[in-house]
Amino acid sequence: MSTAPLLEVVDIHKRFTGVYALRGVSLSFQRGQIYHLLGENGCGKSTLIKIISGAQPPDQGELVIEGVRHARLAPLEALSAGIETVYQDLSLLPNMSVAENVALTSELAAHAGRLTRTFDRRALARTAARALEAVGLPGDADFQATLVEQLPLATRQLVAIARAIASEAKFVIMDEPTTSLTQKEVDNLIAVLAKLRADGVAVLFVSHKLDECYAIGGEVIVLRDGQKMAQGPIENYTKAQIGELMTGKQLSNERYRQAEVMDGHDIVLDVKALSRSRQFADVTFSLHRGEILGVTGLLDSGRNELARALAGVAPADSGTVTLDGSIVRLKTPSDAKWQRIGYVPEDRLNEGLFLDKSIRDNVITAMISSLRDRFGQVDRRRTRELAERTVKELQIATPDVDKPVQSLSGGNQQRVLIGRWLAIDPRVLILHGPTVGVDVGSKDIIYRIMQRLAKQGIGIILISDDLPELLQNCDRILMMKKGRVSNEYRAGQLTEADLYHALLSEAA
Amino acid sequence: MSESLHRVAQTSQGASALSPALAEVAPQVRPLGFTARLVRNPEWFTVGLIIVTCLVVGTMNPRFFQFATLFDLLHSGTTVSLFALGTLVVLASGGIDVSFTAIAAFTMYSITKAVFAWWPDAPFVLILLCGAVGGVLLGLINGVLVHRLKAPSLIVTIGTQYLYRGLLLTFVGTQFFMNIPHSMDSFGRLPLFFYHTNDGLRAVLPVSVIALFLAAGVTWWLLNRTMMGRGVYAMGGSLPIAERLGYNLRAIHLFVFGYTGMLAGIAGILHVSTNRLANPFDLVGTELDVIAAVILGGARITGGTGTVVGTLLGVVLVTLINSVLILVGVPSTWQKVIIGAFILVAGTLFALGRRAG
Repeated sequence: MSTAPLLEVVDIHKRFTGVYALRGVSLSFQRGQIYHLLGENGCGKSTLIKIISGAQPPDQGELVIEGVRHARLAPLEALSAGIETVYQDLSLLPNMSVAENVALTSELAAHAGRLTRTFDRRALARTAARALEAVGLPGDADFQATLVEQLPLATRQLVAIARAIASEAKFVIMDEPTTSLTQKEVDNLIAVLAKLRADGVAVLFVSHKLDECYAIGGEVIVLRDGQKMAQGPIENYTKAQIGELMTGKQLSNERYRQAEVMDGHDIVLDVKALSRSRQFADVTFSLHRGEILGVTGLLDSGRNELARALAGVAPADSGTVTLDGSIVRLKTPSDAKWQRIGYVPEDRLNEGLFLDKSIRDNVITAMISSLRDRFGQVDRRRTRELAERTVKELQIATPDVDKPVQSLSGGNQQRVLIGRWLAIDPRVLILHGPTVGVDVGSKDIIYRIMQRLAKQGIGIILISDDLPELLQNCDRILMMKKGRVSNEYRAGQLTEADLYHALLSEAA
Repeated sequence: MSESLHRVAQTSQGASALSPALAEVAPQVRPLGFTARLVRNPEWFTVGLIIVTCLVVGTMNPRFFQFATLFDLLHSGTTVSLFALGTLVVLASGGIDVSFTAIAAFTMYSITKAVFAWWPDAPFVLILLCGAVGGVLLGLINGVLVHRLKAPSLIVTIGTQYLYRGLLLTFVGTQFFMNIPHSMDSFGRLPLFFYHTNDGLRAVLPVSVIALFLAAGVTWWLLNRTMMGRGVYAMGGSLPIAERLGYNLRAIHLFVFGYTGMLAGIAGILHVSTNRLANPFDLVGTELDVIAAVILGGARITGGTGTVVGTLLGVVLVTLINSVLILVGVPSTWQKVIIGAFILVAGTLFALGRRAG
């Protein structure tokens, strides 16, 4: 193994409409090492990845790949140089077969993108089989012919990595690959990464989950405001130190929840014997005004389905829901809205936000009917006021409420979604995984907002599998197992280890 | 099916010897249900509809089952097939083209008129070549516009359909040619094969059907055996991802619309030759029939799918309904009702199947 770095990034600058995304970042990457790129949303991580993968040119600076200097790279040049990027969407073509997804890219790169030629199908199948087997997937003809759209997400992830192997990638960038995987699938991914590393491939791993970074090991790179704050072996840093480097603030593990709201307060939501066939059964609990109730459990526990039932998305078959003393009907999302139940779904991109619409439009959409004047017209001034108030209240970082939501970082998008429901003055707010894919600093803001809302008297149901999040924020935590509520805990009297143990033993 | 699944499971167990965790992810490839398999091979549904239609027509009128019927089908299906193959390529690339009939009308009429004016004895091959080149040029305009404007191809081609047709009627002419150039006429009459039916009629298979088989073969080869064909499907799967993977979208756009234009140009010339009539008002308006055929052949309107075999089956089905139902005395207005019903049934079935799969 040579000592010259595989890839060097030298003094890269990048501006977007006058705003610096990267300011003089220099990095070097060795073969056979794993790098964790950490930083808050908006710190320049995505821009850095795009520059390395050739999706965007830098304004200044250069890339040195195995000693060859490049002022800029085209996507195809990056691929031929052995740089493979596995974006969050995996960049797989759903309508094409596994074999084609795995092996066509390298075929294309090998011939400089020329399309006016035939290809050798047998060679394609051989390449695909080799790469698929390297990540532990079957390499036989049946699996190769399967369309990617028919595969579960975790398998698609491995197919994307197989493509990197087929392309004989020397440098693999993975953008938040574990966000939607189960623990088992994450373990599997880590095993594959270890194998890649042993073959001398360098991996740049982007993730918000610090625990995973420690489990994988390697070097950590921290970016803040477009500048490199640190690079070094991850074991040299504690979690708190990394958090501080990322945010520039000291973060603590203390509980956000101060007041304990429980017995004696008014009950805002009373759920009795709620059931939905094959998903959850006989769920009974009550939620006090101003209380934060955590709900957790494994993926098959029914927690997600319970949330969707309360939001009217996938209604319950039997049981009753009482809001402020009267039984309500929740058969559609619109029912839930009229009862002033807000629901922030886990998959905010697909289920929650209109990404290409403005922040203003996203905020007002739930209450649009109450903004109509007597001619049925929506008052533009009032919508603007409302949107601006929301932006201020929820500390959404944007210069203008008419910017599209997709221009915001994940944490800010989540706040737009919360803001939408605040606009209807909710009695109950259901937050489903509100900090998934959100950075540390943004998490802190969302937690503070949540506490403030509870203080205003909103009953909050927090569904999450982030145990520290539940412990830091809730009054009580419901544990669900196989569709039933199996236990109830007081968050203040519990440690993370207790809860983790409970979660796993419940599963057994 | 269960056997192949067994193999999948076995292989993944073999891999699990390396790393025990890996087996957890691989075997999740479930066996395909009936509807899921149908979604993967929608051609079988088309075959089913064709068989049902033939049986119904055949029992009502036994004369249906003779070679002459097949000849009729092939004859009237040639133009539609060429259009449909082009439409397949555009649909597979994630676009849609409604201007091909206007391209065909433009090239066939202008070229017929030009041949009359300048070289009435021009050989047929040259005329056909002119049709192909003219079609390519008009198609390339579509391709450039779609790529440059990044506009939905439906809107671009609605625009060019009006444009090409308007230019044709304004500047080239509006009069029919009842006489067509000699070489086109004799090509149109040239039989590939003929025989005398029992009632003494001459059943002719025109030589133009060779174009159908050639076009089908070439399209199949382009789509399945060349990188360009794979690029077409890649772009149809996801335009931004295909770009990220290094596919040259400009080349693919130009190819897709240029190729469709070429088929349309050739189809136009064949249409004039076999009908012995050049009518500038002809063809435009039949786009939906063609798109319906391709959709019935299993291509998704959302792009990225579709096969040559399926497309030809779709054409057979639509042509069958359009031309053969008359044999059993079904009024021609019912043809539309039946095609519409078939499309709704197919669409519902595929949508349900996809949801289940």
